Amino acid sequence: MKKLKKIVLFLLIVFVGIQFIPTKRNESSEVLETDFSKTFTVPANIQNTFEKSCYDCHSNNTNYPWYNKIQPISWLLENHIKEGKKEFNFSEFGSYSKRKQKNKLKSLVSQIKDKKMPMQSYTIIHKDAKLSNADKEQIIVWINKLRDDL
Amino acid sequence: MKKSMYVIVLSVLFLSACKNDKKQAESNSMQPSEMNMEKAEGHEHGDHDHDATMGENSSKEERKIDATTQKNSATSAIIDSYLQIKNALVKDNKDGAAKGGTMMLTAFADFDMSQLNDTQHKEYMEILEDAKEQAEHIVKSPIDHQREHFENLSVDVNDLIALLGTDKTLYQSKCPMAGEGKGAIWLSEYKEIKNPFFGSKMISCGSVQKQIN
Repeated sequence: MKKLKKIVLFLLIVFVGIQFIPTKRNESSEVLETDFSKTFTVPANIQNTFEKSCYDCHSNNTNYPWYNKIQPISWLLENHIKEGKKEFNFSEFGSYSKRKQKNKLKSLVSQIKDKKMPMQSYTIIHKDAKLSNADKEQIIVWINKLRDDL
Repeated sequence: MKKSMYVIVLSVLFLSACKNDKKQAESNSMQPSEMNMEKAEGHEHGDHDHDATMGENSSKEERKIDATTQKNSATSAIIDSYLQIKNALVKDNKDGAAKGGTMMLTAFADFDMSQLNDTQHKEYMEILEDAKEQAEHIVKSPIDHQREHFENLSVDVNDLIALLGTDKTLYQSKCPMAGEGKGAIWLSEYKEIKNPFFGSKMISCGSVQKQIN
């Protein structure tokens, strides 16, 4: 019993300790000129869906729930965001070459069609990020049209 | 003991909350200058896109290759790796395609950019950035995903040849069913149709559109 107490106390100290390790958070109050919404004329409802379902991991501004500010959860999350932004960053979309924009829009459609995005591990917690069939249809039709115009 | 544990837990939560607020304030005050820099860069890129080379390009599916393609062996390693991916996809061979992806990353890393003039360099960099990304995905993805990236890669390699030339004889073919029914092109070292987008499922779908060299 005494041993168990020691272990619990040790873990607690580690847990306290790691809270003091600084993490760079993905937060920005500014909407860049290169943001997707400023690069194209995006219908308001589609932009809303993107912000609700995609921007947390695919833009320069994540809307953090409180539990994601506690380490080690926050470290896991930061990694996801880093990967996500590397693949597709809504905040910097306007700075991509036309070639890259076209290909990224194509991937966006296929990821949604294949139900790979938004990730299940994300929508389990963020229920409102889940895309309805109507949302998907709307996004796919609009993006495909945008691709043809590019 | 129990009581003191509660005290510790509470103080942790309190401390971490304080720390986060501070962190947030810090990062907010940090961000603007960084952001402005990115913005400036973004603008520059945006302007590039409207320049002659890309402007022409963007309206068409792919860049036209002139009948008289420049003879250039500098692009050979890149094209060889592309053909390795293509031939693996024809045989439904995921690992072979992944190997070709790795070969391509090496070929791009070894490419000597010092021979390019300013306009070529700019377009080369855009092709490079995109092709590298496609190759990276081909290395790590399942075969249907590899094929999707191969579609993009084919346009990139086609544009690279239009820009810099090759001394190889190649055939540009089109499969009308690929690209979600919009059609997609690929390049081959032989005239016979062997479809890399569908492999054994539709091996002879497509037709040669033009010969390079």
